[in-house]
Amino acid sequence: MKLQDPRPGKWQLFRIWASIGLQSFGGGASTTFLIQRAFIEKHKWLSMEEFIYLWNLCILTPGINLVALTVIIGKKLGGTWGIAISLAGMLLPSAAITCLLTAIFLQIENVAAVQAVFRGIIPATGGIMLLVGLNFALPLIRKGYKEGIFFLFLSGAITLTCAFAVIFLKLSVIIVILGAAILGTFLFSSKSTPPLYENDQEEQA
Amino acid sequence: MINPFLYFLLFLKASLFSTGGFSNLPSLHQDLIGNGWAKESDFGQSIAIGQISPGPNGLWVISLGYLTYGLTGALLALIAITIPALLVLAISAGYSRIEHQTWVQGAMRGVSLAVVGLLLAVVWTILHQPGVDWKGALIAAGAFGLALSRKVNILIILGLAGLAGYFLYR
Repeated sequence: MKLQDPRPGKWQLFRIWASIGLQSFGGGASTTFLIQRAFIEKHKWLSMEEFIYLWNLCILTPGINLVALTVIIGKKLGGTWGIAISLAGMLLPSAAITCLLTAIFLQIENVAAVQAVFRGIIPATGGIMLLVGLNFALPLIRKGYKEGIFFLFLSGAITLTCAFAVIFLKLSVIIVILGAAILGTFLFSSKSTPPLYENDQEEQA
Repeated sequence: MINPFLYFLLFLKASLFSTGGFSNLPSLHQDLIGNGWAKESDFGQSIAIGQISPGPNGLWVISLGYLTYGLTGALLALIAITIPALLVLAISAGYSRIEHQTWVQGAMRGVSLAVVGLLLAVVWTILHQPGVDWKGALIAAGAFGLALSRKVNILIILGLAGLAGYFLYR
């Protein structure tokens, strides 16, 4: 696909990211969709192939994948300035609203009705988080299933051991992740399969 | 007394060893509770506020920063989640060279499995928040079901849960 639009101006770039950030509710899928619509469809600054390549880089990056995506798209469209402006647009307005809502919460947290509402919302976020975990697990389950029952079992065992180690043994998260990486290197490296999440680009906020 | 430098480093460490917006929670939970810098309830509240605020999922830590250390905490948390994202530039430079090495894929797969385990630990922490009882567990199950259907917007799910809380616990 040939890129048609001229490079975005600084203010335009900030506005686009700010509107993506402020319209993002409930996580990665909607944000990814908004980014694709703005940068691939509305303005033809990126092709879908480029986008998928960049997204794969972001999955390898620690932290919030969508913030990494903001960085790498910003760099592509405006160099160092592009990174700074994109990050500011994506994060500052949303972060300001998050602060504001937290400040309001602190003002009213002793109201009985507010406490009751939060007693309902908090477990619901637990249920939603379980789905986030399931979305992460699905490509791994599919992969293990293809390789046979042994690898499926192995994958499940590693996952549950990590959960157990963090919850009950209070093992440091860093040790758990490094341990899993080393285990993975020994157990899975003989399997030369295509990279994980190849075309699986939703739900990874 | 919170030591701002150490506080920032704990947030940065949690973010560097996480992927996605939530798997930094177990690390923050261990460290902040261990130092006495956060209450158990701060976690459930900040995740709930993060869910009803706009922006990428991971911004819940900004609310955690605000709850535990005011505006300073929110600002330090914001910086801490931004820095790891910049590593994408280094990864972009080196990725094409190691992309097809089998050990990289094996290690990445191990890390991905660990991240699922961490997310289970997040669910565990949330469901062990003070005030979550069997009715809360039912709300969690209902929210999971509605989210799984992918037909109901997350904000509507949270609104329904808040309404349920209002009538069950008021």
